[in-house]
Parts: sequence; C-alpha cells; structure tokens
Amino acid sequence: MTQTTGTTMRVLVVEDEAELGSLVAAALRRAGFAADAVGRLDEAQAALSAVAYDAVVLDLGLPDGDGLALLAALRERPDPPPVLIVTARDAVENRVAGLDAGAEDYLLKPFHMDELIARVKVVLRRPRGGAPLRIEAGNVTFDVTHREVLIGNRPVPFTRREMALLEMLLRRAGRVVAKESIEEHLYSFDEPVGSNAVEVSVHRLRRRLAEAGATIEIHTLRGVGYMLDAGAS
Amino acid sequence: MSGRPVSIEGRLAWRLTAIFTVAIVLAVAGFFWKVASTNDTLLDRALQDQASDIARHLAVHPDGTSVLDLPAPLAEAYGRRDGAFAYVVYDPRGRPVHASAGDAPALFESHHPLERDRTFFRIGPQAGRGDPMFGYVVEAQGGYRIAVAQGWFHDDVLADSLVEEFMEVGLLWMAPVVAIALWVGVMTIRTSLAPVVRLSEQAARIGPETLDARLPEGGLPREVRPLVSAVNHALSRLQAGLDRERRFMAEAAHELRTPLAVLTARIDSLDGPASDGLRRDAARLNRLAEQLLRAGRLDAGPLDVSQPVDLRQIAVEALGALAPLAIREGRALGLTGEPGPVWVRGNRPALLVAIENLLENALVHTPAPGGVEVEVSADGTVRVKDEGPGVPPADREAIFRRFVRGKDAKPGGAGLGLAIVMETARAHGGSVTVADRPGGGAVFEMRLPG
Repeated sequence: MTQTTGTTMRVLVVEDEAELGSLVAAALRRAGFAADAVGRLDEAQAALSAVAYDAVVLDLGLPDGDGLALLAALRERPDPPPVLIVTARDAVENRVAGLDAGAEDYLLKPFHMDELIARVKVVLRRPRGGAPLRIEAGNVTFDVTHREVLIGNRPVPFTRREMALLEMLLRRAGRVVAKESIEEHLYSFDEPVGSNAVEVSVHRLRRRLAEAGATIEIHTLRGVGYMLDAGAS
Repeated sequence: MSGRPVSIEGRLAWRLTAIFTVAIVLAVAGFFWKVASTNDTLLDRALQDQASDIARHLAVHPDGTSVLDLPAPLAEAYGRRDGAFAYVVYDPRGRPVHASAGDAPALFESHHPLERDRTFFRIGPQAGRGDPMFGYVVEAQGGYRIAVAQGWFHDDVLADSLVEEFMEVGLLWMAPVVAIALWVGVMTIRTSLAPVVRLSEQAARIGPETLDARLPEGGLPREVRPLVSAVNHALSRLQAGLDRERRFMAEAAHELRTPLAVLTARIDSLDGPASDGLRRDAARLNRLAEQLLRAGRLDAGPLDVSQPVDLRQIAVEALGALAPLAIREGRALGLTGEPGPVWVRGNRPALLVAIENLLENALVHTPAPGGVEVEVSADGTVRVKDEGPGVPPADREAIFRRFVRGKDAKPGGAGLGLAIVMETARAHGGSVTVADRPGGGAVFEMRLPG
C-alpha cells in the first residue's frame, strides 16, 4: 500500500529516543520513503522550515517541549503535512487532545514497524490540498482520480458500487469497516436495500478480485463488518 | 486492651452507683452516731432547764424558810406518778424541804446527790421502775440546792423517728437525685459519643478506593479529637504511600514502553528464523507492560461508571481492535445478540479493555481455524464464546485473580487480563463468570447492571 504522486514521499521522524528514531527512519526508508530523524522540538522546527515534508511521525514527550506545540505550529501553515503521533502516553484524554490538535492518527508505543508504516501510508493517503491520489494494497492499485483499478498492472472493470466498496475498504485497509457505514455509504434512500445487500456486494467484489488474481483479501467479521487485508506481502 | 470491650457508660454507672452507695452508708452511720450524741446533750440540757425552772420558782425568806410555788403545769408534770420526773430541794443544811413526791428524797439519797455540785448522776433501775434515771444538782439562792432527775428519754423511739424522718426526707430525695445523676452521666456520655458512632460508620466505609476520604473532626468531644485527627493523619500517610505505589506501577509500566518500542523496532528490522522467537518474546513483554498499566489504572482510583455507554458499540470496537490479529492468525470473529444499541451506565475505556481482554483470552485458547463469538444481550450481558478446551471447574474462580493462570494457560499471558475483567465488572456492580460452552469451549459471561 503506497500512495504515490510520482516522487518519493518525505517523512520527518521526531523522536527523542535516538535509537528508536533511527530504527523508525530506517524502516521507513526500507518501505520506500525518504526519512529524517530528529530528537528535539527546535530541530524539528528547523527541519520543517527547510524541507517540505509529506508527513511527520511525532513523539509527544520531547526534551525541549511538548510535541503538541509543534502540532499546533504546523496547523498554522497553509498546507500542513499530516501528523502521526507516536507516544507512550495512552490516557484517553491524551489521545483526544492529540487528535483535537489536528493529528491524523495516534499510535501507542510499543508498536510493530509494519503497523507504523501502514499508518503512515494511511495518513498520506488522505486527501490533502486536492492532491491526486492512488491507493495501493498488495498488487491492487486504486486510482482515485480516474476511478480505475489495476490488479497486477492490468486494468480490471468494476461496477460503480463495487468500486465504491473497494475504495472504502482500501482506505481503511487493516481495519474493520462497519457494515452500517457501508450501507449508508453505498445506498441512497431511493434505492431499495435488501437485508443482505451489503453481503451480496461484498461477495461479488470478492469473486471479482479472486478472478483477477488480487492478493488482497476481504475478511468478514460476522455481525460487525469487513476488513481488507493486504496479506503477508 | 484485651478481654471484653469496656463500656464507658457502664463504667460510669457502676462507679457512680458505688460512690452513692458508700456516701449513703456513711451518711446513715454518721447520722446514727450523731443521734446518739445529740440524745445525751438533749438530756443534759433538759435537766439543767428543769433545775433552773425550779430555782426560779423557789423563794427563800430572810428567816431561812423557803416556799416553792410551781405554776400549775409544772406542778402537774412533776406530780405525775409515773416517775418520769422528780426533784428534791435541799436547804443549806442538807435537809430535803420540797420534793416532787414523797419517795423522791429517798430515791435521791442513796446516790448522794449533795456530795456533788453541778454534776450529773445516775440513778440505776429501781424496783418498780424499769428505766434508769439521770439526775442533776444545782445550787440555788441562800445555800439551797436543787436536785432534778429525769427518766431516760425513750431514745430508741426518738432515734427511730429521727431515722424515719431521715429516710423519708433523705432517701426519698436522695433516690431521685441519685437516679438523675446516673441518668445525666450516662446520657452525657451517650450524647458525647454519638458523633463517635456516626464517625465509626463513616470510617467503616473507607477502603483502598476511597482513601481520600477523611473523618470530620467537627462536633466531636475534645477528648476524642486527638484520636480522630491521628486516624486522619494515618490515612493521609497511607494514601501517600499507596499513591506512590500506584504511581510507581503506572510509571514503571509506562517507562517500559519506550525501551520495548526500541526492542520491538529492532526485532522488526531483523529477518530469519531467530527473529520469530524474539518477536514472540517482545510481544509477551509488551502485553505484560500493557496489562500492568491497565491494572495500575484500575488501582489508581474509583472508576466513573456513571456515563451512559453503548455496550454493543464497545464490543464492536473491541472486535475491530483485535480483528487484524485474529485474521492474521486464522481465527474468525463474530458478533451476535442484540442488533441495536445496548445502553448501560459504565466507564467506556474500562469496558473496552475488559472486552478486549476477554477476546484476547478467547483467541489465545481457540485453535486455528476456530472462531470466537461475542454476544451482547439487551440486559447488559456480554458473552465471549471460544472453541478452546474450556476451564476446569476447579480453576473457575482462581483464573480471575491477579497473576493466577489456569493449568491450560497458553504461554505468553501475564495472568492479569481476566483479573482486570473481574475488577472492571465489580467496579460496575457486575460480575464475570466462566462456564462450559455447549458443544465444547468456554463461555465467559460479564454481567453489568442494566
């Protein structure tokens, strides 16, 4: 899953634990990003004013101040990069404060590197300044602008509803999408909705993906919803 | 102190009763002694009065003769034949010249009244008279002497009447006074100690969750205040100690997170068969730190369980949080039961943790490709059903205790997850139990009051 706009995405890692910062930066580089690691608030501000970063991985507890201050300063900018907070603070209030301050996501330490990279990809995927987007998962690429799906680089036709369902699941890949929100999203009030309309759509989408040799899988959580998994890729 | 608890009321009542008893006994004894001595004095005075009465009515002429002219009432009193009173007037030569009765001089004679002057003498019981008499001799004008005698007062009668009076006046008055004193004493203690009883009720409610409570010192008797303030200070010290411990728990777990994050990140950057084992070890450490933090939060203070929360929505969230793990490990998850919201009063973050813990436990014990099902009922019950080996009846209580792990527990657990569920359920006024699932597996049932 990588969103690309042609050039390499640049991520700033702000983490006072130097080892963790460099491990995260190294993992991001392996995942195809350009990554810089800094350990202080003032270094982060200097880096952010010198380089246009596409995303920031931000630790809250910094030696010279609170990461939330940086977040607030970033929000002042015309086109702020999305921020993923990574912290050892887990109280619900901290989480809410972080998200209220404008962070896109919040990841609790300790975390798996896969999870961090997946979250970074998710925050980058979110529309920002109307930038054109492509979402990738496994061998599936979803071109949001042109409403086109490539599987293994071959265009595969989908119905409008299947496309909308796939986009929804791709945008929240690795997380559960509630059946109710799919219902609300896919069906307007004037269309008759059968009690198992969502099930039918998912079933069809699964079959199309399998036929086209997609490596992604749509899992059912009975009574809850669906989760798209990019597999072990 | 040992033995039976001492009642201040009872003690005071006993001591007051003892003091009053001793006081009454002493008063009665003193009264009798006083009555006896007063009796003598009364008799002395009566004899002297009689003698001077007679002296007053004795006229001595210049020629040495005398005339005794007693007024009628006196004459009548002396003239009575019962012999209670008698007198003899002696002339200067010692011859009896006037007497109350003819035998009076003879009666006095044997006791030589004239050999004593202004003294008292005793006339022992005579034949025909039961009682002894007491006599008194006084010198009158012209060398005449007057001897008077009187039968002993009926002293027992007098004493009886005096005691009777004493009992009547004294005891009749003293009894209510004693009763009132006892009652006032006991009531004073009772009302003074009433705030202490109320205080005890408040103190009884203080527990680890309400250690910030203090006993009010207002309205207390001064004597008890030092105890209460000492208890309050002890509570403060206890709270400070407990706070320190809780903070330490939470901070220790919190401080573990960063090195664990470094460890996890480093292992994630490794490849090869060795990294899988390391990854499992790190995951176990991560879980332990996480559960310690959660347990520490439960310890940190009373949960606010007053917010309306949708139990089904919380179950959905918990399922969503564990879905990636479950799916990665080839286990299915499902939600059944009430299709709509299930509103209960509770603490959302704590309930989320509890349901997540139940789910984690179920997933650990369910072999792939099994499934775990969560059922949320309208009455506020959450059931988590797994396809594992079940929990033997002997372990069904112990597994909810901290750091106790079932015999069939899978390696990797910290032994805290189910304890957190139990403590969360209790904090909500609910409970959690485990039973066999029909067809195999275990059902964990968490019931919350609706």
